[in-house]
Amino acid sequence: MTVETTVTEVRESETKARIAELKYAIYLMRQNPLVLAGSVLVIFFVFISLTATLLVSPDAADRLIFTRSYCWSSSVFSWTSLAAVCPAGTFLPLGTDGYGRSVLDMIVLAIPLDLSIAFIIVIISTAFGMVLGSVAGWIGGKFDEAILRITDIFFAFPGLVLALVFAALFGRTIETLTIAVLLVWWPTYVRLSRGQVLVEKEKTYVEALKALGVHPSRIVLFHVIPNSIYPIIVQMSLDIGGVILTFSALMFLGFSPSPALPELGNLASDGIGHVFTAPWLIVFPGLTILVIALAFNLVGDGLRDILDPRLRR
Amino acid sequence: MVFVLFGVSAIVFYLARGFPSAFAPWAQYITFRMKPAQIEAVIKAHGFDQPLYIQYWYWLQDVFHGDWGYSNWANGLPTFEVFASRFPFTIELTIAATILTVAIGIPLGILSALKNNTAADHASRIIALTGYSTPSYWFAYILQLVFFYYFYTWGLPNLPSGGVISQNLSGAVPAVTGLPIIDGIIAGNLTYTADAFAHVILPAFNLAFISLGYLARIVRASMLEVLRQDYIIMARSKGLSERIVIYRHALRNALIPAMTLTGLFFAGLLGGAIITETVFSWPGVGNVSLRAVFQGDSNFLLLYSLVTALIIVASNLVVDVMYVFLDPRIKY
Amino acid sequence: MAAKGESLLETRDLTVNFHTYRGEVKALDHVQLSLYPHEVLALVGESGCGKSVTALTILGLLPGNAHVLEGQILYKGEDLLKKSPEQMQEIRAEGIAAIFQDPMTFLNPVLTVGVQLKEAFLVQKHLWTAQTRDKSATGAVDAQIRGFLLEKETEKEGSKRESGRDREKIAEELSKDILKLVRLADPERILTQYPHELSGGMRQRCMIAMALARRPSIIVADEITTALDVTVQAQILTLLKELRDTIDASSILITHDLSVAAETADRIAVMYAGHVVEVASTIELFRKPLHPYTQLLMKCIPDVRKPVTHLESISGTVPDLIDPPTGCRFHPRCPFAMEVCKTTKPVLKDIGNGHLVHCHLF
Repeated sequence: MTVETTVTEVRESETKARIAELKYAIYLMRQNPLVLAGSVLVIFFVFISLTATLLVSPDAADRLIFTRSYCWSSSVFSWTSLAAVCPAGTFLPLGTDGYGRSVLDMIVLAIPLDLSIAFIIVIISTAFGMVLGSVAGWIGGKFDEAILRITDIFFAFPGLVLALVFAALFGRTIETLTIAVLLVWWPTYVRLSRGQVLVEKEKTYVEALKALGVHPSRIVLFHVIPNSIYPIIVQMSLDIGGVILTFSALMFLGFSPSPALPELGNLASDGIGHVFTAPWLIVFPGLTILVIALAFNLVGDGLRDILDPRLRR
Repeated sequence: MVFVLFGVSAIVFYLARGFPSAFAPWAQYITFRMKPAQIEAVIKAHGFDQPLYIQYWYWLQDVFHGDWGYSNWANGLPTFEVFASRFPFTIELTIAATILTVAIGIPLGILSALKNNTAADHASRIIALTGYSTPSYWFAYILQLVFFYYFYTWGLPNLPSGGVISQNLSGAVPAVTGLPIIDGIIAGNLTYTADAFAHVILPAFNLAFISLGYLARIVRASMLEVLRQDYIIMARSKGLSERIVIYRHALRNALIPAMTLTGLFFAGLLGGAIITETVFSWPGVGNVSLRAVFQGDSNFLLLYSLVTALIIVASNLVVDVMYVFLDPRIKY
Repeated sequence: MAAKGESLLETRDLTVNFHTYRGEVKALDHVQLSLYPHEVLALVGESGCGKSVTALTILGLLPGNAHVLEGQILYKGEDLLKKSPEQMQEIRAEGIAAIFQDPMTFLNPVLTVGVQLKEAFLVQKHLWTAQTRDKSATGAVDAQIRGFLLEKETEKEGSKRESGRDREKIAEELSKDILKLVRLADPERILTQYPHELSGGMRQRCMIAMALARRPSIIVADEITTALDVTVQAQILTLLKELRDTIDASSILITHDLSVAAETADRIAVMYAGHVVEVASTIELFRKPLHPYTQLLMKCIPDVRKPVTHLESISGTVPDLIDPPTGCRFHPRCPFAMEVCKTTKPVLKDIGNGHLVHCHLF
């Protein structure tokens, strides 16, 4: 029996176990209506992101028609007595913003922007955090201590402060804002991965692999990480909602690169001065953010229930 | 812990003072009438032309003497006063928000756990998840729209849209603690207290709505875990009523993580809920910190970051102590 | 020893399934048991054979995914399975008590022993109503309690109901007495301690005390010595035997250890894969084990008196209860298996002298 075949056997049994678990997970998912609803919504939003430019012409954001700014078209439902009414014959189901652009169009254009930024941030945080955290957890010692202290520092910053300072400092481009949010997010994954690795490290299969002479990097990469990935997946899906909330909050507070940028938080900020004259400007973009975040949170929360080894059976 | 404080201050220092083109630290000490030569003098006097690590050393020395500098944009007041005058309002908001969160979140979680997988469970799960999917600025405006504007137009008694106390009542009561509701109670002034209360409801609810969901989920998870424990079977086998089993045996175990979470939540809020305070014009620490960021006021930002970091680190210690009290198995 | 008189508790055709994601686990299959007054009945079998499930079913403490498909549990002439949860609560409070395996996990870690013991007293409604008190009290423990309460009553000069605090105090005194009954020194101090501050043996005695406090007519003891080391095991068993003679209850002693059963039980019921395969008095069972499984079990115990060269075991493994063997569930491992064993389930037959066997050989 060579080392390779033993390792292959370990991998095979792991794969078999994982497939069985996957089947069980899918069984549970079908039983959970909320997760299904969330998944449907997520797919819906991804679909919109991909087809946005087909639904709304991309230069709709640049066509500013000031004659019809801040108006609401439906005469059936009037928001407030102070709201202006849009000119007849226009299809403006969600009213217009300060530049006279259709709010619906802007929201549709904003969804792909927000979603893609959220994905990028979550993926980068996860990748970076996992590498750093796994290495720290595996090696231990002084390096681990140092990483722990550094994450402590970042956790001690409340909420948005760090991101705000960074954003105010380095200008208002989408790239800098992305980095600002990343700064707030990465320590979570470091801690998470580290915790997972620490637990897995003590398990007997790791000892077995070490005894077989498998290189630690392979052990971590191909065995430990796949076995401990569930909480990270859960965290990722929950975080997409959180990142969108944070990112749009930054835009809302005034850090957006351009006031006309179709981004959900930015669109909402347009309505600040017009809360009682054009409430739809805050209501609908904010509502969109809520629904997107809710969708991902439903999926993440459901996944957490499904993947939690203790709550099963 | 000390290391964390140094780390936080170092990072903020670097960001706030290391880029004088974006944030000019001497802006807090000059007026627009000063000539370039005078400005140079100010720069030299405060050492802003020195390398960063020397500036940091000067700053440390100043801080040890209690001098946190001045914040020009806030009427030129000493930075410490700018912070301290606002802090009690943040405290009031934090206490109110925490009470709301606990009062709604914990029963919601217990209900979810007891009626596991029924419609009530799903409903409370949706409420909880909606809560922490909600953008706080959006919800804040919705609250204002409904409870301030629409209630008014519909002829219902409406809640104020912002501020801590109505204009006409401001200063009617001596500021003992700085928290309007408490001061009102101490002075025995019912109108004042009621008014302060009316002002704090909406912002507190805004904060609570977002977090109570999270608390409810934690309570639910730990209740479910506890209810599967052997000692619950034992308690039931004694013929105890279900009510006693839950309230005496299960809850005391299940609420331990919830309590610690509440402690951390409280500490986090003490750092100032920037968005909520801004939307509701709440004169707290978070509100002011936003303006400080825009002004590039490194003095204030340093004080603010350090205080909040201190609170967060201290709260972790407090939570550890709480554990010792709540769980007799833990002895340190 | 012939079964005397009417049974205290009887299960008939008890069949219980568990619904899991992998399928239905047929945990109990027509289980038939009788418990008579003043006896210790041991329920013996391997892990997973259904002994604990039987206990939980009797107590009405099955988890949510369990269904009782058919059967009856007759106690004092009534079918327990037809009772409401509140009625079962009363029965557990004052009729059938349980002692469990691992006192560390079965005692609430955040409550003191005192609280957990006192509530065993406070839950008994009949104890606190003067009218029913004297009628229901019997036996040595009861005599103590009765005496104690009579004292308290004369002290109080005829107040109708005790206040909550009075009850607490009475319960506290009763708790101390009962701790003495289970041979625990310094009961005053133990009442103030938390479970993790006591040793395993002490915890187990506290659990026994909690069961005795309810003056039950039936005690269900589920593997109570399994989690203890051998010396403590011996102490607990001695205690049980002492108690058997002083208290007026019958016990169902669940264990996987035949020697424990041999030492403490009057009658033994052997279970395998969800049904009872043999029931007999202890002496009879050891002298003349009839069921092949029982015989093989006995062979597995090495004889201390002779040198051991080779450890016996029963070939095969315990069957998967989701898909149990047809007919007699033991037939795949039975050295005497016949054709009929594979197709038809045997019936529990009385061979004589109260010796019951569940096998086609008889």
